[in-house]
Amino acid sequence: MIAVRDLELRVEEKPLLTSMSFDIGGGEFVGILGRNGAGKTTLLRALAGLRPADGGNIAVHSRGIATFSPAERSRAIAFVTSDDVFTDRLTVREVIAAGRYPHHRWWQWTPEPHDAQAIAGALEAVELENFADREFVTLSSGERQRVWIALAIAQEAPLLFLDEPTSHLDLRAAQHVLKLLRQQVNAGKTVVCVLHDPNEAAAYADRAMLLAGGGILAFEDKERALTPALLEQAYGLKMESVTGASGTRRIFPSAT
Amino acid sequence: MILRFAALAAGLLGVAAGALLVGGTEISPAAIWNALLHPNSGEIATIVWQLRLPRIVIGAFVGASLAIAGALLQGLLRNPLVDPYLTGVSAGAAVAIVLSISAGVASAAVPALGFAAGLATAITVAALARRGASLDATRLILAGVSLSSLFAAIIALVLTRVQGAGSAPAIVSWLAGTLSGRSWGDLLFAAPYAFLGAILALLSAPALNALRLGDVRAAAVGVDVGRAQWTILASSSLLAASAVTLSGTVGFVGLIVPHVARRMVGSDARYVLAASALLGAGLTIVADALSRTLLAPAEIPIGVLLAFIGVPAFLYLYLRDRRTAAA
Repeated sequence: MIAVRDLELRVEEKPLLTSMSFDIGGGEFVGILGRNGAGKTTLLRALAGLRPADGGNIAVHSRGIATFSPAERSRAIAFVTSDDVFTDRLTVREVIAAGRYPHHRWWQWTPEPHDAQAIAGALEAVELENFADREFVTLSSGERQRVWIALAIAQEAPLLFLDEPTSHLDLRAAQHVLKLLRQQVNAGKTVVCVLHDPNEAAAYADRAMLLAGGGILAFEDKERALTPALLEQAYGLKMESVTGASGTRRIFPSAT
Repeated sequence: MILRFAALAAGLLGVAAGALLVGGTEISPAAIWNALLHPNSGEIATIVWQLRLPRIVIGAFVGASLAIAGALLQGLLRNPLVDPYLTGVSAGAAVAIVLSISAGVASAAVPALGFAAGLATAITVAALARRGASLDATRLILAGVSLSSLFAAIIALVLTRVQGAGSAPAIVSWLAGTLSGRSWGDLLFAAPYAFLGAILALLSAPALNALRLGDVRAAAVGVDVGRAQWTILASSSLLAASAVTLSGTVGFVGLIVPHVARRMVGSDARYVLAASALLGAGLTIVADALSRTLLAPAEIPIGVLLAFIGVPAFLYLYLRDRRTAAA
């Protein structure tokens, strides 16, 4: 699905990530973890075609990402960011409707017959059917995050990229969002998601990528990537793990 | 929504009809109707067809152009304080027109010079604000504001030099904004550019809607953000330059009308652009009719009148709303 070869990404001329090569398959849930500034967001944006690669190749369906037109790219890849930037009093439905943009001509004023169905399906997927006509600004952080995900689902792209969808969310809202993403994977989508909590990745992702030192520290099945030893290297923090009654391993920074 | 637009269109037709009745010579509605139907039927027909009608149509044209241009730029920059002159169009046009009037250039050539200078300024500002394929909003505002200040200084310098000279009244009336003395010919000169600008504005509406969610999200849903920015900038510059060429610097319409339009029809760019055009046209016709009659036979510059009536009305609306919201 996604093939990355010798990728290099620079920020203001300084190399941030170099010689990255990896593949992501269809129907996978990949969690990207690493310290602030490790390059997670930059990598995600490059994979989504929202910023150019400074070296190497990113191919989606065996085709270079740079050769996609903006609309083609958005029919293949949906990108979710959580920054709230707008002041207009839009309803949830109006926000989600933006996801239909790549399915229209750029100057097209009227909706397509399928649009309403796609928007309704997206609302249902994030369990916000009853919120369609609410104003976005009246929603809680968790509900807003689900709206952003619905916007991406309405795009009907097979790839879903998310930048820190659980930041600023309480435990319950974060679990809800991750569960919804897992459902999308089970329905056949590929999800690539920047996460901060290794336990969230361990619970919901299939594979985890640890970024550190300008490259990939590990990109493995979650059991092999999310070990105290590798996480210590990634975060520069002493880690310890406990195994709960249910048999799941939890990893935490040591209190010292 | 259809009802709201029908009401707006009816209101516009109403004020246009009302404005036909206003003028130095008293003419009955029946005589005006007769003159409209028979353009070559004598003195009254000449007044209606050569004085009143062009003024109303040009007023509507200027108001609609400025309001659409304002709505476009406010949407593009997601900044409600932006007006269509932000890109330096009016200041550039003003400098060229002030210089050419004071240098005694033939008056027929003045609007074309103003139009060209306005567009040239907008292009310069856009070039200064360019970053890669797209525009930097902060740089756009900085470049527009600084070039406009430079031009304002040049105009002030010219004004101090021409004081008392024969060209001074023409310059002042142009700077304050006026529709007096404009003819069908002036409109024919400006209309094609504004028409092109309006087409570009309509084509930009879907992208403007996506841009409401921010540049990153707009790009993520497939908006070619660079192309949208350039299209919107070109459109608003063409519209503003056409308007300025006809009326001088009429302020307020391009800043406030989009706000009122958003209150009436929500923030969908398709509705906002259409409602802004209708409201801007209506408001300018009313203001021009008042500017001709309040101190008749003297004329109040339309820009001054719009500010005197419009600003308090607008502030009242906003403050009332805030109080309701607080209660």
